[in-house]
Amino acid sequence: MRPDTRAQIEALFARYPAKRGALLPAIYLAQAEKGWVDADTTRELARLFELRPVEVYEVLSFYNMFYTVPQGRHHVYVCTNVPCSLRGSRSLLRGLEAYLGVQAGETTKDGRVTLGHEECLGSCGTAPVLRVDGAYHENVEFADARRIVDELE
Amino acid sequence: MQSEPYVKNYLSEHYGSDAYRTLEGYADAGGFAGIKKALSLPPDEVTELVKASGLRGRGGAGFATGLKWSFMPKTAERMKVIVANGDESEPGSFKDRMIMERGPFQVLEGILIGAWAMGAKRSFLYVRGEYGESIRALQAAVEELRAKKYLGKACFGKKGFEHDIIVHCGAGAYICGEETGLLESLEGKKGQPRKKPPFPAQHGAFGLPTTVNNVETFAHVPFILERGVEWFRQRGTEKSPGTTLFGVSGHVERPGLFELPLGTPLREVLGMAGGVRGGRRLKGVMPGGLSMPILPPSELDVGLAEELLVPKGTHLGTGGVMVMDETTCMVRVACVTSYFFRDESCGQCTQCREGTGWVHKLCERIERGRGTAEDLALLDDVPSLMEGQTICAFADAAAWPIQGLLKHFRADFQAHIDEKKCPFSESFEL
Amino acid sequence: MPKLTIDGREFQVAEGRTILQAIDDLGLLMAGVDIPHYCWHPKLSIDGSCRLCQVEVEGMPKLQIACNTPVTDGMKVHTANERVAKARRGVMELLLINHPLDCPICDQAGECKLQDYAFDYGVAGARTKEPRRPAKKSVELGPTIVFDQERCILCRRCVRFCQEVPKTGELGVFGRGDESLLETFPGKPLDNPYSMNVADICPVGALTTRDFRFKIRVWFLDDVESICNQCARGCNISASRSNNKIYRFVPRRNDAVNETWMCDHGRMSYKLNGQGRLAHARVDGKPSSAYAAAQRAGELARQIRAAGGRIVGVASPFASNEELEAFRDFLAELGAGPARFAVPRGESDEILVEAEKAPNANGCRALGMTETNDSLGHADLAFVLGHTTHAAAFADVRRVVLIDSHESALSARADVVIPARTFLEKLGHFTNGDGIVQRFDPVVEPAFEALSEREALDEIRKSAVSAAAREPG
Repeated sequence: MRPDTRAQIEALFARYPAKRGALLPAIYLAQAEKGWVDADTTRELARLFELRPVEVYEVLSFYNMFYTVPQGRHHVYVCTNVPCSLRGSRSLLRGLEAYLGVQAGETTKDGRVTLGHEECLGSCGTAPVLRVDGAYHENVEFADARRIVDELE
Repeated sequence: MQSEPYVKNYLSEHYGSDAYRTLEGYADAGGFAGIKKALSLPPDEVTELVKASGLRGRGGAGFATGLKWSFMPKTAERMKVIVANGDESEPGSFKDRMIMERGPFQVLEGILIGAWAMGAKRSFLYVRGEYGESIRALQAAVEELRAKKYLGKACFGKKGFEHDIIVHCGAGAYICGEETGLLESLEGKKGQPRKKPPFPAQHGAFGLPTTVNNVETFAHVPFILERGVEWFRQRGTEKSPGTTLFGVSGHVERPGLFELPLGTPLREVLGMAGGVRGGRRLKGVMPGGLSMPILPPSELDVGLAEELLVPKGTHLGTGGVMVMDETTCMVRVACVTSYFFRDESCGQCTQCREGTGWVHKLCERIERGRGTAEDLALLDDVPSLMEGQTICAFADAAAWPIQGLLKHFRADFQAHIDEKKCPFSESFEL
Repeated sequence: MPKLTIDGREFQVAEGRTILQAIDDLGLLMAGVDIPHYCWHPKLSIDGSCRLCQVEVEGMPKLQIACNTPVTDGMKVHTANERVAKARRGVMELLLINHPLDCPICDQAGECKLQDYAFDYGVAGARTKEPRRPAKKSVELGPTIVFDQERCILCRRCVRFCQEVPKTGELGVFGRGDESLLETFPGKPLDNPYSMNVADICPVGALTTRDFRFKIRVWFLDDVESICNQCARGCNISASRSNNKIYRFVPRRNDAVNETWMCDHGRMSYKLNGQGRLAHARVDGKPSSAYAAAQRAGELARQIRAAGGRIVGVASPFASNEELEAFRDFLAELGAGPARFAVPRGESDEILVEAEKAPNANGCRALGMTETNDSLGHADLAFVLGHTTHAAAFADVRRVVLIDSHESALSARADVVIPARTFLEKLGHFTNGDGIVQRFDPVVEPAFEALSEREALDEIRKSAVSAAAREPG
């Protein structure tokens, strides 16, 4: 973990009545370094929070937005819950799987894109929705999705 | 960014304005009148006003907000905490996102009124991690409040009114919308709901006395203070006053948000959303998010309020209205629904952890044309093993929609079994 | 004291207890009041997740978990009606849908709560056709414990145990929903001085000890109540035996001594019973019968006494109260002074392990024996009863008579050696570090001629005194 990341994390402690409250924000900061949290980083987080690595790992493994394996440079997520499915999101996902040559949950061979499906993203009025590196793309059709994916470095 | 609500009322009146997201613009539009009114009253009177308004929580359970506030201990021995639940994750619900993005100061003002009423020194605004725009809007708004000294040692210049608000980002887990799951998550743990007792009012966030309310609930509070209980009660029903942002999704011409009084008939809401797309016939409507049982077309005249929906075997939930037209395979809906609950079960309680997986496998089996009469009988029975027996209401939420689908659309399931395949060729893809 | 009514029977229970705790306090849990449970354990924090202990409480619309529902005065609870039975059947069925049902090859079979409760409250047939959740077999969680992930029911007793008792917290549940899995963090195995307790509290066959697994089916074992002799705690144990062989120690609940735990060192000490045993009596290094050796010891006593020589007694904190008492009387009869004893010491912890590495130092003290590590100085004859670690103290002792179960530095030089029974081969009492007197029962018979210390002393005394009577003056 970089010293500046560690400093940012330590600055979070005072915001919570107990230090551990800062764990989720701290994991985000640690994860930002390379897109996922490895075992060494997990140990370092544990040291910072006076926890055991297993406790940090339990948390990492519980939440969808934390990653414990290497990820692609970009995340492309398709919401596949009922409101999006009703408006064709699963066809969109199948299309992207074919286009990128990976299954949902996998990363392209060149490490460019990790494709995934996600539970409801709260964009049901503008379904289907794509979340690309955190940004929402709403009312997406397959042509839009392909263009968005093509533009990723 | 999602489009502003098609039908507006007091809450969403200014959601089209970018200025409303700034402290100045919010104040110009009449913002902060509620907190100023509150600060002119003794705290207990504020709680009494909220009680009298009949405001019910907008997070799904519909609990009386004023009553909840009154559970908070009156003494100040331990720091009291408010938690605003912005973890909106209920499929079909997208109103809180709108409120947090377009009316962040409404939420914060409501929290401050609660803080005054309950004597809370700190609040945490827990926003689901996927809602980047909401987080940015709220953080910017909090910064503005701090700069203006509306937060701090003497909020709004009121001596003895100390408060700070921390915006806290979730990390992708539906169960963190459950209030004690949220508290665990806020404490940096897995979001596994707590057994009760103890209850949050005694032992909440970080062991401190805590009140948790949905962000929309807080957003209504300034209006109640500013405009009065009478005014608020003129909207909605006797038991469910006020408006809410109904989110209409699925097979309608014009999906989106509609701010309407509680109790508005479902048929009217559908009409405002342009009716079923392409002139198709309606097959069913889930009126309150994915956790609530579906209604058949024959129930369109029901008013969308908790007390009106209960006799129809369903609930208002979060007011996420999901519309399904005649092409829809209800077994596929069951597959998607049961997959979701399987995926999001926290895994603590036996019935929920194991039951959600089993229900999903049964739905898949039937959808693939491999189901039998015994599988259908199991699908009738397994949800009943889960219902009402777990730490939190998640298992109920997983059981109810399946029970609703079976009650009203049993023929769809039977057809899969009889034809040994899915007979709905035009249905949405799975 | 609140009154609690369970299925029409009234109980007075302690304040501030939950239903399950109150029933357990009365000693009636699963022994008069059947409230099946998995995640709840009397000595761990309440988890409330297995949901098996649901009961009907009058006035509450939903079933309540007995483990976490506080008793209120006048509370009426029903544990045996159809509603409760249906809930239990539901939990049992759901716990079994992903369970491998591999009892024929599972080492827990016979002492498995999944088997027991399925038999009592479950249904015989499986309604699920779905493939079971795949998981790992035979995962080595650490040096002592083997984990079968398929069988785990995620009650998290083991997780809480490691957090709350040894406070090492090696275990965690990773993931969520039906993909939750018990694991350790890479490089941090389950390795603590109490690790094997997790196998005891695991209600199913998920956690087993490497030492005991696949050694024998538990229905071939019978359990004898005993006391661990590895330190002054005196943990209550059950020694499991079959065909005159001890297969394991498991802790036996005693809230005043060891709650429900024991340390791994003590647990593995069952192996000591067969190792390094003093199998034959010896006189001057030559094999002898035990009785002949005792007679020889008696002769020595008589001769040295007659010659006015100094006779001393050395007792052992490993001997039972009964033996110590007999030894005291024996020494008095020979005119020797009170016995002395030495206590081996080592590390203690804040949990169970005591610094005194012997079970009965307090028994010696209670009989007025002197604790010392000093040299015995010059003596003509020392009678040594039981294991002693201070061979060096005997440097200036002319003759040594040793009654002991195991070979030692002292047995190599003793003039008379009489093999004795171990605590697992006889009945007796130890007085533990807190002064609590605890009984142990014979578990096995020694494989060779061995006397109990009392028998040996009796023989020696007869020989010493009767011979003395024959030779007046």
